[in-house]
Amino acid sequence: MKIMNCPLNGPRNISEFAWGGEVKPMPDPGSLDDRAWGDWLFLENNEAGVVREWWCHVPTSFWFIAERNTVTDEIVKTYPASDIFKERVNFAPPSKTSGTEKK
Amino acid sequence: MASLTNLDPATLKRRSFIYRKLAAAGAEFAELNGGAVAMRYPARAESEAVTARRMGLADLSVLPHGGFKGRGTVEWLTAQGLAIGADSNKAYAQSGGELAARLAPTEIFLLDSLQGTGHLIGKLNATWQWSPSGPRPQQGYPMPRQDSHAWFMATGEKSAEMFSKICGVDLRPRHCPVGTIAQTSVAKMNAIVIRADLGGTLAYHLLADIASAEYLWTCMEDAVAEYDGRIVGLAALRSLQS
Repeated sequence: MKIMNCPLNGPRNISEFAWGGEVKPMPDPGSLDDRAWGDWLFLENNEAGVVREWWCHVPTSFWFIAERNTVTDEIVKTYPASDIFKERVNFAPPSKTSGTEKK
Repeated sequence: MASLTNLDPATLKRRSFIYRKLAAAGAEFAELNGGAVAMRYPARAESEAVTARRMGLADLSVLPHGGFKGRGTVEWLTAQGLAIGADSNKAYAQSGGELAARLAPTEIFLLDSLQGTGHLIGKLNATWQWSPSGPRPQQGYPMPRQDSHAWFMATGEKSAEMFSKICGVDLRPRHCPVGTIAQTSVAKMNAIVIRADLGGTLAYHLLADIASAEYLWTCMEDAVAEYDGRIVGLAALRSLQS
């Protein structure tokens, strides 16, 4: 079976992991309409090559980042989300034109 | 020692989810801390301790287990007298024979000793308090696991080999020292495996979602049978410790 290296638990069978989408910079939820927010939430870029993705080790519910080559399905590296997310995200109060839900 | 005269588990309030399977296999139950525990299987030709040294499987779900999590948990538990090391995915033995399993930096799963008195877990739950108003100290919060996690134990020299059939993590003794925790998949279920030898006998705790206890127990019985193993009672596990 394919093996993925979980930053918390070490190498595990790929069947223990769930894919969580690409890592994309979050737009300001207070200044975009529902369609743009939905696009960001649900549409992927689907690039060919090495991409950064969210993955979850399901038995521990541990979310982390993996860099994976979408052409060869090779996992280049994995690391904790704290390596790239250094600060807490604070949500500004929604403006009149914004969507109503935050992620 | 509690009475062993054909105690009917249905007369007690606390029973394992799989007690009917244990009864069908010939278990003799005893009352422990208000629950019905499968203590021994009298109709066996072979001594259960001998079975357990080769390949045994026991149900400990009724024994006290729980935990604490959240920021400040380890500091608070240390102040209560527990000894918890710095590494996650390690289980730390306590003075009363209990185990403090550090699943994550701020998450401690507590397993009682095989005596099952519940003294430590009971004392911690009684001591923990959250003031009704803030500011609240960072001391973590209780993580009830008694009714969410089935607790089985696999014992004996064949147990690592048995796990290799149902678990992707290498649990062989030289790769998995005593106290190692693997949070992984066992028989396609999310599970926690903790190596915790009994005396000189290789042994592993297995914790998993209690709603699927019957499924997992059936899988374990099947896997154990392949290695000439059988179900054993709590008394056999205790005898390995001495």
